[in-house]
Amino acid sequence: MKFPKPRRILLYILLILFAFAFVLPFWTGFTTSLKTKRDVIYTTPVEPPPSLTLEPWIEAFNIMEKPLFNSLIFTLLATIFSCIIGSINGYVLSKIRFKGSDLVFLFFSIGIFIPYQTVLIPLVLTMSRLRLYNTIEGLILAHTAYGIPICTLLFRNSYKEIPDSLIMAAKTDGAGTWAIYRRILLPLSSAPFVVAGVFQFTSIWNDFLFGLVLARGSEALPASVALANLKGTTTAFWNVQMAGALWYALPVIIVYLILGKYLVKGYMAGAVKG
Amino acid sequence: MVRVVIKNLTKKFGEVVAVKNLNLEIEEKEFFILLGPSGCGKSTALLCVAGLLKPDEGEIWIDDKLVTAPEQDVYVSPQEREVAMVFQDYALYPHMTVFQNIAFPLEIRKKSKSEIEKRVKTTAELLGISQLQDRKPRQLSGGQRQRVALGRAIVREPKIFLMDEPLANLDAKLRVRMRVELKKLHQKLGTTTVYVTHDQVEAMSLGDRVAVLKDGILQQVDTPRELYDAPKNTFVAGFIGSPPMNMIEGNLAEKNEILVIDLGVTMFEPPSWMEKKMKEAKESKVILGFRPENTTLAKKCQKNAIEANVDMLELIGRELHVHLTVGECSFVAITTPTEDVKVGENVWMMLDEKKSHIFDGRTGERLI
Repeated sequence: MKFPKPRRILLYILLILFAFAFVLPFWTGFTTSLKTKRDVIYTTPVEPPPSLTLEPWIEAFNIMEKPLFNSLIFTLLATIFSCIIGSINGYVLSKIRFKGSDLVFLFFSIGIFIPYQTVLIPLVLTMSRLRLYNTIEGLILAHTAYGIPICTLLFRNSYKEIPDSLIMAAKTDGAGTWAIYRRILLPLSSAPFVVAGVFQFTSIWNDFLFGLVLARGSEALPASVALANLKGTTTAFWNVQMAGALWYALPVIIVYLILGKYLVKGYMAGAVKG
Repeated sequence: MVRVVIKNLTKKFGEVVAVKNLNLEIEEKEFFILLGPSGCGKSTALLCVAGLLKPDEGEIWIDDKLVTAPEQDVYVSPQEREVAMVFQDYALYPHMTVFQNIAFPLEIRKKSKSEIEKRVKTTAELLGISQLQDRKPRQLSGGQRQRVALGRAIVREPKIFLMDEPLANLDAKLRVRMRVELKKLHQKLGTTTVYVTHDQVEAMSLGDRVAVLKDGILQQVDTPRELYDAPKNTFVAGFIGSPPMNMIEGNLAEKNEILVIDLGVTMFEPPSWMEKKMKEAKESKVILGFRPENTTLAKKCQKNAIEANVDMLELIGRELHVHLTVGECSFVAITTPTEDVKVGENVWMMLDEKKSHIFDGRTGERLI
């Protein structure tokens, strides 16, 4: 066996240190979530639990069941809607083009950089006028609308890589605008759908602000807000909070596990002409 | 059958005029070539015929139907023009198999499943790609992809084929083979074809007639034979033929009461039949042009011969290309490989006067 070079060893040590620093918070959360209330006080957070208990997991789930379900519904639907609309926008802006299409695209791009905080008051007013305040539908609408700019950008840039001759060929073959989208572009869009989908899923799932201001009651309460509420007002049950945080992190982890390898492919697609 | 008529076609991209006032009449069943260097507007003209680009001015007629006329607000979409197009990059749908690619135009037209299968099968057999039907485009070689692209065009039985440099991406050997196959295919189908290329050999071998374009302006439309033997101007003369026509500038002068061309290096005495025409020339500046194969080399001084220095020898199989220099000018003479010439020696180059041309020195138009 060839012995690795010293520089290589140094690199590995450094990487292990970074990995350790990265995993540490997750590890403490995990150990704490399996400890009893007593053990939380008597042990340091990094220590493994002296006696294992699943009590905090069950307790956290009982509190967060409904909010987790809420979040899952509006996150999935808003992700799907914003991706589909973004894909159609991307098609129009990259392949159909019309007078002023670059200007329209510029406006979409600006939309990406508008901070959530600046639109809060008009958003709440709009939602209450639409009678969508404090509803799942309201959250779906807000997240879909807010996701369209970034999705449009992702799809438009991805479609730019598809040669125009393909669209021209489809036109002379007799395909109309909609048939070209459905038969040619859509089947070639798996990479941008994965990238935009994962991006939208994580950012909508992790959103706290819209959830906080658009859903006050329990009906439409998102998991992110429910997790914050676990904190309590006087005492902190660290084990329940940590279990709640892990419940909350689970869907995103699952999404990454399933789509992670496609995600890398999607990011790389177009980097090198194939 | 189908004719294509282009009248006063102009297409601008911003300030750039890609095609200027183009007039063409493409006869039915004709294999018509648009030839020119890159950026001459030939592809633009083709895309206008396909309806993929809207021109700024002019009319395009397919058959007896006006399909494009911006002044009259007439524009028939490419979907409704019944033209099929083959692209330089083949433009095969990457997610579809060969069968699906060829079937696509039929499916869009909502043909029955059995008809689609029948027609795709016939087309695939015609092009010799039956065994590839389940493959995806990325699993095919360049030549195979080209055939699939042709198949997708043929299967619809369109009124016109439009081809935009379809052979440009193939390697030299395959290009020659596909060229022959295209010609045969055209003979078999007899569909009116408009074919864009920058390769004059392709144009000469495929075309019934060839239109030569330069900077968006039509230079000449003629049969390949005529283009070669009677180019209208110096551009066509220099573009058609490989190696191109030799050209040397000179001035009309009078010597002992006969009209001669002062080439600087020598006085060229044109035969009497040329003289008459030359007298019509308004300018004294002219260009003498002659093809490399219409020359003979001699070791001794001859009448009307140009003395030149042998610069380089290129042996190309059955011909020997002798590169010569005279002062600032350089020429190529084609002789047989047995010709006794050495690099560095001086020879006299005689021209076949009957096959020589004289062009106006200012406009480049051919006088003789």
